[in-house]
Amino acid sequence: MNILSSYSIKGGVGKTALAVNLAYALREAGRRTLLVDLDPQGAAAFYFRVDSAEKFKMGNARALTDGLRRNIRESDFPGLDIIPSNLAYRHFDILLHSMEKRRKQLRSVLDGLKSDYDVILMDCPPNITLLSENVFRASDGILVPVIPTVLSRRTFGQLVGFFRDKGLPTEILRPFFSMVQRQNRMHREIMEELPVEHVGFLKTAIPFSVDVEKMGVQRMPLLAYSHACAAALAYRTLCDEILAQSNTPP
Amino acid sequence: MESDGVLQLPDALTLERLREEVGSRLEIHRAEVRRMKFWDTFEWGIWFGGCVLFSSGGVCRLCRREVGEIGPVICEEEESGAKFRFPRDFRAASMREKLLELTGLRALAPVASATFRQRQADFRNETGKIVCRFEWAEVAGMKDHHPLRYCRILPLRGYEAEAAGLEGVLVGLGAEAATGTPLDFVFRSAGNIPRKYTLQPAFGLGTMTPAREAIGRIIRAMLAIARGNEAGIVSDLDTEFLHDYRICLRKIRSVLSLVKGVYPEDDTLRMRKILGDLARETNRLRDLDVYLLARDEYSALLPEVFRADLGVMFRDFEAERAGVVRKVSARLRSPAWREAIEEVERFVAEGASPLPSHASNFAVGPLVFRRISKRYRKICDIADKLGPETPDEGVHRLRIECKKLRYLMEFFGELIPGEESEVMEKQLRRLQNRLGGFNDCSVQQRFLLDYWSHRKSGLDVALALGGLVSILHLRQQQHRVRIHKALDAFCCAATASTFKQTFKPPAVGMVPENAAP
Repeated sequence: MNILSSYSIKGGVGKTALAVNLAYALREAGRRTLLVDLDPQGAAAFYFRVDSAEKFKMGNARALTDGLRRNIRESDFPGLDIIPSNLAYRHFDILLHSMEKRRKQLRSVLDGLKSDYDVILMDCPPNITLLSENVFRASDGILVPVIPTVLSRRTFGQLVGFFRDKGLPTEILRPFFSMVQRQNRMHREIMEELPVEHVGFLKTAIPFSVDVEKMGVQRMPLLAYSHACAAALAYRTLCDEILAQSNTPP
Repeated sequence: MESDGVLQLPDALTLERLREEVGSRLEIHRAEVRRMKFWDTFEWGIWFGGCVLFSSGGVCRLCRREVGEIGPVICEEEESGAKFRFPRDFRAASMREKLLELTGLRALAPVASATFRQRQADFRNETGKIVCRFEWAEVAGMKDHHPLRYCRILPLRGYEAEAAGLEGVLVGLGAEAATGTPLDFVFRSAGNIPRKYTLQPAFGLGTMTPAREAIGRIIRAMLAIARGNEAGIVSDLDTEFLHDYRICLRKIRSVLSLVKGVYPEDDTLRMRKILGDLARETNRLRDLDVYLLARDEYSALLPEVFRADLGVMFRDFEAERAGVVRKVSARLRSPAWREAIEEVERFVAEGASPLPSHASNFAVGPLVFRRISKRYRKICDIADKLGPETPDEGVHRLRIECKKLRYLMEFFGELIPGEESEVMEKQLRRLQNRLGGFNDCSVQQRFLLDYWSHRKSGLDVALALGGLVSILHLRQQQHRVRIHKALDAFCCAATASTFKQTFKPPAVGMVPENAAP
C-alpha cells in the first residue's frame, strides 16, 4: 500500500487538481484508491459531487478512524472512494495536540483504512501545522506542485528547510512543475534551474489549462470529461511516473 | 423477505415505469443483448468446481461462479470455429490447464443456452452524484419458460440509505425478493439442473433394514446410475461413461453374491449371468480406452527413439476402437440389450416378489457385518501364505478378495461407525492401489504381447514393445514389494482388533414385525 499526499504551503498551485486527477488516473490504472480530503474547504469532494462529511467525535485515534471509515463515499467511478472534508477538520491541530504521539497519529489512523485500498491519497490544506507534520510522517511520498515562479520557488525552499529542521526525510518530497506556461521565459528558466538544485523532481510537468478550471462547472475530474487534452495526458503520465517510482509500475 | 439486492420483477415493471415514479434523476443506459451458451461435463465438474464456462459473441469464457452469478473471468479465448470437447481442444494454455483441473477425462457438452437482455441505470441525488446503480435484466431460457425478469440494486458505499429507499419503491410497484439466481433459472429452463454425480450414493440403510430390501435399494440405485450413462456411451462422448457403466454392472453382480441367501440362488445366478454377459461385450472397448488414455504415459517410459514406433500401436488401437465403439453403441441401442437390463430392473423393482429365500428377511446389519469379518479373515489367511514366489494368480486372488471387502464396506458404509471405518478404508484403499498396480502391469504385459502376436510385423515396433514390456515387468516387481508392506499394516494386530470390534456381529436374525426399516 502507498500513502501519498498532495501538499504545498502555498495555495492556488494546482494541489487539489492534482489530487482529484491523480486519484482518477490511479483507479484507471487498476489501483483501488481512497482520496482523503483533509482541506476544510472541501474542494476535492466538491469536484466529485460528494457532500461534506457527517460530524463525528474525534476524541482519540480509534474514534477518528471509525468516523473517517463511516464517511467513506463511493465515487461515481468504480475503484475510487472519497472521504469528504468537513469544516470541523479545522480543529485537527487542537485534537492532535491533545493526543499522545501527536506527530504520528495520522499514520495509525490510516493504517486502520489501508486494508481496502492500494493507494491512499490525501489532499492537504495549504499551511504548515501539526496536521501537516502528521501528513509528512504518514506519507510514503509527498507530491508538491510547484508553479515555475519566484514565489513558488521560495515556498518550496521553505518546505525543504522545514524538513531538514525537523529531521524529516527530504527524499519523500516529490516536487513537480504545475500550471506551466512554456511560452513564459521565466517558467522555462526556473524549470531548468530548480531540478538541479533539488533532487527528486518528477519529470512530468502539468501545463496550465483552462480545461482544468472547468472542473468546477463539470464537477468531475478533468480526466473524466476531457480524455485527450494536454493537461489530462500530463496527469496520466505523472501517474505512470509515480507508479513506476513506487515499484508498482502501471 | 430479505432480497440481497436482487428483486424479481412483474412484467409491467420496467425502468421507464420506475422513472415515472422517481423522476428524471434515473439515468437509463443502452440495452445490451447477449446470447450465451453454457458448457459443462456430465459430472458438472465446472459448476461444482465453482466456475462457469460459456461462449458468447465469438468468445469462450471461463469465469468464477459467485452465488449463482457469473463472476470474474479466469481465462478466455476467441472461438476458432472448431468444435471443442476436451481441454486439449483450446488454444490458450491457461484455459487448457484450468479446464483439465475441473473436468479431468470428461467431455464438455452444451448444457443450456439463454439470451440475457441487460440495461444499466444510475440514480443520482439532487447534487447529481450517483447514489445507486441498477442492473435490469431479462433472461429467456431454452424452453417455453416465461422469461425471468429481475433487477439488482447496487448501492454505492456510503449511500446505502438511498438504495434502501429505492428498493422500497420497487417493492411498492410489485417487485419481490428473488427466489433463485439467474443461472439457476437458465439451467432449470433447459431442464438441466446441476446435480452431484457419484458412484457411491447413500442408500438410506439401517441396521434393521430387511436384507432383501437393502440389496434391492442398492441395485436399483446402481442400475439408475448405469442407465444414466447409456446415452454417453452410445454417442461416445467420453471414455468415462463406459467406465462408470461397467463399474455399476460389476457392483450389482457383486452385491448379489456378496450377501448370499437374500434371493433364491437360481435367480441370483441368472441375474449375474445377464450382467456378466452385458459387461463382457464392452471389454474390448474398455481395454482399448485404457491403452489409448495411457498413450502419453507409455511414450514417456521409452527413450525418444522408440516413441514413434509405439505410435504405430496406438494408431492400430484407434482404428480398431472406431469399429468397436460402433458395435457397442449399436448393441446398447438394441432391443435385446434393453430387454436384458429391464429384466434386472423388474427383478429388483419395489413390490416385485421373487420367491422368499432363507436370508431375505434377515436384518441387514448383522448379516453384512458377519460377511465383512469373514472377508477380512480370508484376506489375512491369503496374505499369510503370500511370498515372493507366489504366482501372479495368487496375488490376483487376493486383489479380488480385497475388492469384495471394499464393496461390502462401501455399500453398507452407512452402518459402520465413522472414525474406525475411515481408518480401515484408508488402509484397504492403500492395499488395493498396490494390488491394482501389480495387476495392471501384469495384464498390460499380456495385452501388449498379445497385440504383437497378432501383428507380427515391424521390427521397430517389436523393439519398442519389448522395451515397454520390460519396464512393466520391472514395475510389477516393485509393486509386489509394496504389496507386502501394505499387507503388514492391513493384517497387523491393531487393524485386526479394529475389524473384530467394529464388525462383531450380534446374532443374525429375522427383522421383528414392527422394526423400522
